[in-house]
Amino acid sequence: MTIHEDVQEVLLTEDQIQGRVAEMGVELAHDYADRQPVLVSVLKGSIVFLADLIRATELPLAVDLMELSSYGAAMESSGQVRILKDLSGSIEGRDVIVVEDIIDTGLTLNYLLRYLRERSPASIRICCLLDKPARRLTDIDIDYRGFSIPDRFVVGYGLDFDERYRNLPYIGVLRPSVYGGPEPRT
Amino acid sequence: MAAGLTGATGPRFAHASEAELARILDFYQVAWRYEPDVFPISWNASGAVVECFAPDFYLPEIDLYLELTTLKQSLVRKKNRKLRWMRLLYPETRVKLLYARDFRALMLKYGRLDFLYEVLGANGQSASSRTLTSPRPSEPAA
Repeated sequence: MTIHEDVQEVLLTEDQIQGRVAEMGVELAHDYADRQPVLVSVLKGSIVFLADLIRATELPLAVDLMELSSYGAAMESSGQVRILKDLSGSIEGRDVIVVEDIIDTGLTLNYLLRYLRERSPASIRICCLLDKPARRLTDIDIDYRGFSIPDRFVVGYGLDFDERYRNLPYIGVLRPSVYGGPEPRT
Repeated sequence: MAAGLTGATGPRFAHASEAELARILDFYQVAWRYEPDVFPISWNASGAVVECFAPDFYLPEIDLYLELTTLKQSLVRKKNRKLRWMRLLYPETRVKLLYARDFRALMLKYGRLDFLYEVLGANGQSASSRTLTSPRPSEPAA
């Protein structure tokens, strides 16, 4: 049995993703010409996108990583989001590009932006591979958007369910039976 | 029922799913108020208000009302109708309706499907009193 068998439908193929990521790399190179932005990404879902994105641009960029506690995983703790891994370097006066795998409710990103703004960067822009606007609960202006996707539960290309499926090279819709949901009617 | 942002005690939620949403908002430090405003949507011939809409949550930092609808279908239709009038009468007011499927997706995202099944059951209606916890309304963001 392979992880592919748990995928009901391929939403975005490997070729589609690679093509769009290449375009986004060119956009970043154009917009940040003569600048040296810091790409701040949030573990763990964004790692695959980040790895491809930085290789799709020839900017003299820097990379930093953060990790935040997630609501469900932190039910037994303080009840508030915690920074599990902070920035390694200062972003004061730097042009920051937040690299996200997916933006749905926007709650995590809303918190992250507030945190980053307190560190006085010169600018902050948001770059995400997937935008799921139907789920939005906050106001987020996305500067670079890979794909706008429908309201489906997706995995792959870094996105997981219960820590699995991150290594799928495509974005797929997870079969509902995997997480105990009803199978679609045929 | 209104609850101040800095209140020492939380509101009494009508449904466990509302308490869960409040906990999520608290977790991500998004300020909220529970049922702070009532919008009249229907009047009789004498001009007296006969029907109102009181969204469950108000998020002051983003000026958005949230209405959580995880109840049975007949109530969903009623809320949809109220929301249509709300949008017609108060077009500047932003209201987002969270349906059962939206709440389910939220629980799936956070690995909380067990909570979903516990409080909603098979028909998506029941809410045991022990799960009606009242988290403290969030402090405004610094």
